[in-house]
Amino acid sequence: MEWIVLLISAVLLPIFPLSLIFNRLVATAPGPWGRALALLVLPQLGILLLYHTGPFLPLPVLGQRIWLMMVLFTAVFYAFRAVSAREISVWSRLSASSGLTLTWLLVASGSPVHLTQLFVLAWSVPAALLMIWAGLLSQRMGGAYLGLRGGLATELPRLSGLITVTALALVATPVFPGFFAMLQVFHLLSLSWLWPLLLLLMIWGWSIGKFLQDLLFGIYQGEPLTDIGGTVTSVGAGVLFLFALFGLVWSGLWIGN
Amino acid sequence: MDTLAIVIPFVPVLSAAIIFLFLRNRKGTAARLSVLATLLTFLLSLSLLGDYITSQVARVEWIGQIWGSIWLDPLALIMWTFVSGISLLVHMYSVRYMVEEPNYPRFFALLDLMTATIFFMVSAADLITLLVAWFLVGVFLYFLLGHDTDRSASGRYAFWTQITYRFGDLPLWLAAFILFKAYHSLSLPVIFAQVAAAPNAVQLWGMPVPAWVGILIAISAFARSAQFLLHGWLPYTMDGPTPVSALMHAGIVNAGGFLFNRFAPIFEYTSLALHIAFVVGLITAVLGSALMLIQNDIKRSLGYSTMGQMGFMVMECGLGAFPLAVFHLIAHGFFKASLFLGAGNAIGEARAADGVPPDPVYVSVVERRPNKPSRLPLITAAALTILVPVLVLSLSHFFVASHLFFEQGVIILLFFAWVTGAQALFATHKMTHSNPWQVMGGILGSFVLVVIGYTLISHYFGNFLYPEHGASKRLFASASIGVLSYDVLVIILALLFVGGWALTFFADARDWGQHLSEKWHGTYVALYALLTRELYLNDFFVRMTQVLFAASRRLNVWFRWS
Repeated sequence: MEWIVLLISAVLLPIFPLSLIFNRLVATAPGPWGRALALLVLPQLGILLLYHTGPFLPLPVLGQRIWLMMVLFTAVFYAFRAVSAREISVWSRLSASSGLTLTWLLVASGSPVHLTQLFVLAWSVPAALLMIWAGLLSQRMGGAYLGLRGGLATELPRLSGLITVTALALVATPVFPGFFAMLQVFHLLSLSWLWPLLLLLMIWGWSIGKFLQDLLFGIYQGEPLTDIGGTVTSVGAGVLFLFALFGLVWSGLWIGN
Repeated sequence: MDTLAIVIPFVPVLSAAIIFLFLRNRKGTAARLSVLATLLTFLLSLSLLGDYITSQVARVEWIGQIWGSIWLDPLALIMWTFVSGISLLVHMYSVRYMVEEPNYPRFFALLDLMTATIFFMVSAADLITLLVAWFLVGVFLYFLLGHDTDRSASGRYAFWTQITYRFGDLPLWLAAFILFKAYHSLSLPVIFAQVAAAPNAVQLWGMPVPAWVGILIAISAFARSAQFLLHGWLPYTMDGPTPVSALMHAGIVNAGGFLFNRFAPIFEYTSLALHIAFVVGLITAVLGSALMLIQNDIKRSLGYSTMGQMGFMVMECGLGAFPLAVFHLIAHGFFKASLFLGAGNAIGEARAADGVPPDPVYVSVVERRPNKPSRLPLITAAALTILVPVLVLSLSHFFVASHLFFEQGVIILLFFAWVTGAQALFATHKMTHSNPWQVMGGILGSFVLVVIGYTLISHYFGNFLYPEHGASKRLFASASIGVLSYDVLVIILALLFVGGWALTFFADARDWGQHLSEKWHGTYVALYALLTRELYLNDFFVRMTQVLFAASRRLNVWFRWS
């Protein structure tokens, strides 16, 4: 039974190769709102399953070490794959998988359930928001592919602004929660195990650079587009502001632990 | 004053927030608000600096409970005044320069955010605040450099800067966690006190913690200050708007020198990192200057000049002259800002000039230059060239800071100053003039004034930055090497410079140029190509990126994007 729980949790809090199932589940969810909901709910289900059916890791020491290696490999592997993703929801899904897998490090350290749930939200919320922005972009362009028709910063300044800030939040940019979540992960591991996390930060930096280059720069060549309205922009900006505020408030608690 | 110190960094943040929320369509008001906020920040910083000069008390102010602290020490206060001063110049210049550009209010908001972030970075008293600000500088710089989104090139070069900065962020992360895990504190003053109490108490992987941290901090500084192998991005920041180039080259790129000084209490107990800094700085200085000489674009030339200056700055740190590096970065910041902001005018004037080739009759009659120029006798010129700088430099330094006179770092610095002075006098000798004594006298007078002024200022500035007695001596001692190695190094350097001068002199006097160009034509072309292609480093990085990108895409295809 413990093993089944562990395997299901490894699907919901994605670890390679079971992460393939997680990604397939999110990709096949109906519409952008469905994909956003899947990104918010599935990892939380994984946490509930782990914490309410424990023990967390029914593995010997060597097994735990291999598990740790798999977690770090998954994080780097998905970040690396996100570099070449040109569709916003794919980029968001792969980047989220890269961050969500780190939750296992908190689980293994015996972190309280509410802190682990908040940690997951640091990756789920921006990924879910990106799914919604990708849906809005698809409505206008017929797809959320970047780099095909040139820069959107001039054509869709509001929507591209929201996408930019949300994507930065997803790759652990300060002052968003992901940054402080990464600080906590760094704190959990011994110094010898930090190099994969440094590599992860480097690849995220590369990934967001490519993403923004394709999103923002160049001269748009296509049909004239209508940007999102002021209300949607205000709501989106408000959510992102609250998200950043949440990161600042909770950062003290995370670091303090 | 306590509340004031916390308020100052938030003044530009408030300005940026007001512009983003209410003034996106009111260009004039947005610019005026931004300039006023920066002026206020500058004046408040100046008043805090004045307050410190009278009270001589450094203190730490807390905004949050665990992180978010501001260290009001001489370094932070000097940097606040310098950064806000440069930022004010850039703001004022941008009011008219950027007025035709799209997203004018956003540009000012981003300038404000950048100013605030640098304020937090230079005054951070804890590791988390330092990391947050260090990261955010890269983010805001990306958007400032890529302000013109219509041009793909500006996005590409902003990305180069961002990815190099990210590479430089990582050693700082690791250094921060090594310090935190070794000393169990986030507070920089607490960590430094623990290091000073027992420098080698905590070991990590066979070396003392300060040694590891020193190397990591140095690498982080190298990336931010465009040192050799991590310099490729700097000349390409010219693709950003001119005010951003000015801010970049006058302020942000100096962050490496600041970082060395902030972690000076660590460097007092580690030599290896300083030796690495000296070598990397020296290579960067030589390479930056060489690359500058072959540029035909004024902004690109200024970019490589910055690289050379950053090399000198890091080299100064590597020699233990930490306060000199701060003085250097401030002086360089102001003159480079003025050069960048004037570059546009220089280009305009060059375009307006008629470009008529020089004519001897015209030169003699209209420009009133002598048609029978003369030079000083060779022996007199050689004696002046070699002896005067030695005397002036040695005497001025001996009278001002005799207790440091025999430190290795000081001698090397004096050696480089002598080389520079002699080079200036030699170049003066090569100039032809109807009254060569007048020219040489003028140059010598200027040289004496500059050296004495520079020595006095750097000495008192050093005392201001490091008031604790003995800190400068410990830094110089840390940068020192064995006597034999030191002597060999000085002899090699002296031979290199003297050989270079001799080669230049004889090539000029005996007209070796033609002979050399025939014999070494292939080598010359290869060297020229190597330098014009910037040692193929950027080509290598681009190719590496392409290969990795293709691998990433192949993986995605194999795993069907799941």
